[in-house]
Amino acid sequence: MTSFPRSPAGPCRVAARRSAAAAIALAGAVLALIGAPAMAQPQTLTMWSHWPDEASKRSFIEERVKQFEAATPQCKVNLQFVQKADLYTSVKTSVRTGQAPDIFWLEPDEIAFAKSGYLEPLDKYIDLANLEDWAKRAWTWNGKVYAMPQEAYSVELYYNRDLMKKIGVTLPAGMQMTQAQFTEMVKRSVAAGITPTATGVGDRPYPGAYFLQEILLRKLGTEDYEKLLTGKLPFQDPRVIEAMNWVKQLVDAGMFPRSMATMKLGESHYYFHTNPGALMFPIASWYTGRAFVAPEKGGQPKDFALGLMKYPAMDGSKCPECKTLAVGGSYVMYARSKNKECAGKMLSSLATVENGNKWMESVLLQTGVRTDPSRITSIYAPYFKELQERGAGARYFIGTPLHYMSGKCGDTFAQVLNRAFPGGLISVNDAAAQMDAACKAAG
Amino acid sequence: MRDSPSGAAAALRRTLASWLSAPEADSRRASLSTVMLFLAPALLVYAALTAYPVLRTFYNSFFNVADLASSEFVGWAHYAEVFRDRTFWAAVRNTAIWSVIGPVLDVVAGLLLALCLYAGVPFSRFLRVAWFTPVLLSYVVVGIMWVWIYNYDWGVVNGLLRAIGLQAWAQAWLGDPRFALGSLIVTHAWKWAGFNMVVCLAALHSLPSEVLEAAELDNCGWWHKLTDIIVPMLWPTLLNLYILAFIGKMKVFDLVWIMTEGGPVWSTETVSTYVYKRAFNWNTFDLGYPSAIAVVWFFVVVGFVVFFNVLFRRRERMEY
Repeated sequence: MTSFPRSPAGPCRVAARRSAAAAIALAGAVLALIGAPAMAQPQTLTMWSHWPDEASKRSFIEERVKQFEAATPQCKVNLQFVQKADLYTSVKTSVRTGQAPDIFWLEPDEIAFAKSGYLEPLDKYIDLANLEDWAKRAWTWNGKVYAMPQEAYSVELYYNRDLMKKIGVTLPAGMQMTQAQFTEMVKRSVAAGITPTATGVGDRPYPGAYFLQEILLRKLGTEDYEKLLTGKLPFQDPRVIEAMNWVKQLVDAGMFPRSMATMKLGESHYYFHTNPGALMFPIASWYTGRAFVAPEKGGQPKDFALGLMKYPAMDGSKCPECKTLAVGGSYVMYARSKNKECAGKMLSSLATVENGNKWMESVLLQTGVRTDPSRITSIYAPYFKELQERGAGARYFIGTPLHYMSGKCGDTFAQVLNRAFPGGLISVNDAAAQMDAACKAAG
Repeated sequence: MRDSPSGAAAALRRTLASWLSAPEADSRRASLSTVMLFLAPALLVYAALTAYPVLRTFYNSFFNVADLASSEFVGWAHYAEVFRDRTFWAAVRNTAIWSVIGPVLDVVAGLLLALCLYAGVPFSRFLRVAWFTPVLLSYVVVGIMWVWIYNYDWGVVNGLLRAIGLQAWAQAWLGDPRFALGSLIVTHAWKWAGFNMVVCLAALHSLPSEVLEAAELDNCGWWHKLTDIIVPMLWPTLLNLYILAFIGKMKVFDLVWIMTEGGPVWSTETVSTYVYKRAFNWNTFDLGYPSAIAVVWFFVVVGFVVFFNVLFRRRERMEY
């Protein structure tokens, strides 16, 4: 029997191998031509957030982004923290040119972004059942929800327990003073050389008006207060004038610091808890973002005796239990984003009850995401308990004045009620007349 | 004598012919295509970054511009609104006050500092550098520094007043509408006095020495030497400095934005800050109205530039 020498690779096998290689190459080419587009391409999202100087919020977002990237390998996030004013200026320019970030930070007073068609409705991207109803309402336009309301806050009146003792004032059991008690407290504080309230309006259009707005809310009740903010009730209404007259009396007694016009928001925190120290601090519950960090980073001193009291109710107030609750920093998706799928997944990953709890626990601030407060434990739990106590039984009004006012009306609010009125630079009648002149058209 | 129309046409033809003629006709003159090749980059940059934005601003001022893709034509409505806008007029008033008073302060301060150095005060080398340094600082640094200086509680100004027993004079300098604009004008003058000083010093050194020596021989006192000889001879320089400062202050933005953002109660609002606020700071999207303000102010500034040019030409004719 003749046997053919066995070559390591006989002609048939070589031919077969060539055929197989050609087939694989062809298949590869076909796949490359038709299959590649169907494969998930890695996408890099751009995400801009406020809070560069608020460590707890910044850490929370950074952590969530890291988790999202780990769980969704095809999506990368280019996260940047930018100061609010710069962020707004940038996005207002870039949304017009198609170059805005895929996800960016906004507050509900900028609902004009949605009205102008720059935002993508989030209804199909996130589970709306995970959001609080009141928070969804703040971002609803034409029946669609346009933002993931990460931050929410109530307008609170913080105080320094030690200074309160020093001026010999004991707060009533319900933690809400009457008009006369509050006036007396302010006078005592001034007499003791202690500034009654720390407020800085140098870089914000609203903190100077916090006290007046809360007094007006309680005096008018939610319905008339909303009418006032939407131009349907004049500021020259006798009840409004009465409330403004009382606040003017407090202003003239020295309630606000003389340096408030140039004091920045961050500086007003320091003014309250460290130097020179003020008796009270009317501010939103996001106080914690700046104050609950190490003292060397601008936080309140370790032994600072922080207290929370209710805003006083004027005599004849319609709703002494009323209180402002508002949605703050929220994340929106750019309507012309080229990475909507990843952006949607990113926002969806934030909008979970688990993340809501984590936010409350680490930032100690409310959120528009549904939460389960019973699961929250942290070293600041006593503070959180006190915050919840001050809100117990409250009737909430959703939104701050600037969420309702825009254009000339909003600018007049910022200049007159935020700066000039608490600064003692303008009379009650003049302030009311200017507000009515500016907001009438808006109404 | 002015050229007749036919003379002008002939001159134009000559110019064009010289441009378009073959390079061999005059080897020193480049051809039009070569000229355009070298001019093109600069012209492109100018067209893209200056001409187009200006023309687009003119165009936008006739529209409600919420989105570049969809604008609503409103004709002259924005211009009518501008002239009814009380905040705009407050901004015009503040800008006008600043533009008229500010340059006087700048130039006088610069001249006085230059005279000090010219007279050879002790440490003049050090002082020259120290007085010029603010010119090198950015508005951000200057603004933040002066916000601290004006601080009611611990600022240097109020600290000094309290130290000398004038605590009643301590003010919230930037928080009170009566003082805020004045405080900004002083800050601006502080920043630019050094620049004016350098220019005045150069002019002082170029004065003809024989005139000054003759004045000394005539026993002319220092005051008369200053008011009757030095200032009149420096007058063209001082006027130029005034006009430069005037035009600069018509557009002032940075310092105001950093120190007061136009407040309190619009007492430091300038036209530039108001345009910026309306375009980017209000929670509205319309770019049309701020464009209309910008166009109006553009013509006001151009009007003043033309006015000063005419004034200068007349002065030159009178002098020569």
